[in-house]
Amino acid sequence: MEIKVIVTILLGSIFINNYVLARMLGVCPFLGVLQKLDSAAVLGLAVVFFMTLTSFITYPIYKYVLAPNNISYLTTIAFIIVIGSLAQFMEMIIRKYCPPLFQALEIFPPLIVTNCAVLGAAVINISSGFAGPDVTLGMIKSVAQGFGGGVGFTLALIIMVGIRERLELADIPENLKGAPVTFLTAGLLALAFFGFSGLKI
Amino acid sequence: MTKKEKHDELLISHPPHIRSSESIPRIMWTVIIALAPAAVFSVYLFGIRALVLISVSVVSAVIAETLIRLLLRKPATSLDGSAVITGMLLAMNLPPLAPWWMAAVGSFFAIIIVKQLFGGLGFNIFNPALAARAFLTASWPAHMSGDWYRFSDMNVLSPAINNAAGFPPEVFDALTRATPLALLKEGPKILADNNISVSRLYDMATSADMLKSLFAGNVGGVVGETSAILLLAGALFLFIRKIITWHIPVTFIGTVAAAAAVFYSLMGLSAPHLTALYHVLSGGLLLGAFFMATDTVTSPVSGKGKVLFGIGCGLITFIIRMWGGYPEGVCYAILIMNALVPLIDRFMKPKVFGVRKMKTGEARVLASPKNKGVAK
Amino acid sequence: MKYGEVFTKGIWERNPQLVIGLALCPTLAVSTSVSNALWMMLATSFVLLGSNLLISSIRKIVPAHFRIPIFMTIIAAFVTVVDRLLSAYRPDVLHALGIFVPLIAVNCIILLRGEEFAQKNGMFASALDGIGMGIGFGLTITVLALVREILGANRLFGYVLIPGLEPAGVMILAPGAFFSIALMLWAVNALKSRRNRK
Repeated sequence: MEIKVIVTILLGSIFINNYVLARMLGVCPFLGVLQKLDSAAVLGLAVVFFMTLTSFITYPIYKYVLAPNNISYLTTIAFIIVIGSLAQFMEMIIRKYCPPLFQALEIFPPLIVTNCAVLGAAVINISSGFAGPDVTLGMIKSVAQGFGGGVGFTLALIIMVGIRERLELADIPENLKGAPVTFLTAGLLALAFFGFSGLKI
Repeated sequence: MTKKEKHDELLISHPPHIRSSESIPRIMWTVIIALAPAAVFSVYLFGIRALVLISVSVVSAVIAETLIRLLLRKPATSLDGSAVITGMLLAMNLPPLAPWWMAAVGSFFAIIIVKQLFGGLGFNIFNPALAARAFLTASWPAHMSGDWYRFSDMNVLSPAINNAAGFPPEVFDALTRATPLALLKEGPKILADNNISVSRLYDMATSADMLKSLFAGNVGGVVGETSAILLLAGALFLFIRKIITWHIPVTFIGTVAAAAAVFYSLMGLSAPHLTALYHVLSGGLLLGAFFMATDTVTSPVSGKGKVLFGIGCGLITFIIRMWGGYPEGVCYAILIMNALVPLIDRFMKPKVFGVRKMKTGEARVLASPKNKGVAK
Repeated sequence: MKYGEVFTKGIWERNPQLVIGLALCPTLAVSTSVSNALWMMLATSFVLLGSNLLISSIRKIVPAHFRIPIFMTIIAAFVTVVDRLLSAYRPDVLHALGIFVPLIAVNCIILLRGEEFAQKNGMFASALDGIGMGIGFGLTITVLALVREILGANRLFGYVLIPGLEPAGVMILAPGAFFSIALMLWAVNALKSRRNRK
């Protein structure tokens, strides 16, 4: 039963409510920052990791600190501080223990922290009512939602980078090149993903 | 660099899909001839409304193509047949009683947004007719899932099906209100509500009458999908003319059939192969697999890539049919796989003609757009 | 400094979404109706004004190393104020905008104005910059919402426009958002290149 719930959340956040194509979160990295498939994949992995971690940490903060003390209106500030320090902390660790990875990820920290998908994941966990009485289940649901959201983001990003590469060869009207045609593609991709709506296991 | 040169260069960068010397219009008109029997039959079956849809759709597509190419100051291509095909395929994907303006809106969307803004024939990422169908489904869901032709009274399913299985009349009425595909989706609930064993639904679906109707085509559904035999005849014609290859249709249909056979035998049905056949013959699978998934522009170049594409289409179709919100998944399966084609092509590179001695890496550098900038 | 220019540049020359290419997520997500768009404009402008003023006033005492975390906390604080105000006076609006109220905190344009303008300029100029950018941001959303509400719901401010017409519902959904912004950016690019040619 619970496994079914988790799988539903995963499928939901990857396909049905894809962060980019349905929720329209994390759209900015779509627009030209990334041209190469490999760097898109690396950014995707970083986002998956970071969104999972954020969900893992923000959920108990809400559940044990904010909600019981009736200060849930501080959620936004608290989550921003947590996400900011988490990013800083990860950057330090990677720089110290894995310099090559740090170099590879150089442009990413700002992309990740200001990526609304990360704060979005943390907020969605709360607004979906995962903070119910069953803490363990809520925790697992949150982490699944954050992880699925990251995977969905990565999926959309990789498909998009692939299509953009092909579009470079296409005879697209001059003023439509770049961001406009990328959005046009995103719209068609979002239409295609409608096929998954209502998917139930 | 002039427009003409640019075009030539681009044609070189895409390996030739068709090895004969046929021109684009020739290929397009061959496809139109192949689609014609199913289209003509739909007018016979559904009447004047189907003819209106097909005509409006084709005319709008040609008008849209003319207008947008004028606006973009590009040479006219309206009569190369590709717009006609898009219009025909779109109409063949609409419910017979859909209002005519939906066909017009769909054609304009398909030609302008999906095809010409992406660079026109040869550059579109998604199949225009299918993207338009998805657009119309999201815009006017009630029309797209309800404007079915009724053979008599409320019967959408098929005039040839009578209540041989002995369902109570109101249950039988409820069952025949659905298209063959929707029957699989809604039937179990209808029967469960009336305390009737669900296995009798599959008996009805796999009855000889039913399968015969599906084969001949006197069943409900969207305009062009109903007659299996005529679609197969058209497809055979395309095979003979070497317009399409076996890879995508065989793997696409095969995957749906295999998945259905496995699923229904695990479910314990007595004739899972017949239920699998029902899956193959009902809905838009044959139309999609032969006429839309095979579009050379929006499918992978290499044979291996095509096989992967077909399997992917088949799996997504089956998943949506069984567990999705829509009764039919063919349209979305093809669209999603269309989006994956650049990635499939990237990892399953076809042999590049004329550069056998080079390493693939070098060939890619030569073909990359950055080099074109240098050439300027 | 030309104060007029500071104020107006956000509307066209440096429009957040159309020229800088930021703040697109809320633009796409909230432009489902004109009233949502106007509320979003108001909320974002308020946060922009507040954060620009505060950042400008403390610009000389903020250690350079820690400025980004400090700016982000300031922005989040103003977002919380907006959230509280809406929840007290217009809970319906808070509900309609949903998660995009807390997400104002990661609207890149606000951090960008703090970083690029407010920490280098006086309070008056920063306030003008904030309001101008807020209006520019809001106008883009509003135009987009106008298109989407008319095409996708056959309504304007909730009132039916042409009785009996069946609107293209997809324009209210995510694909419609992407199509509308694409065509809008296309139009803006065409305008810009026509102007450049002259």
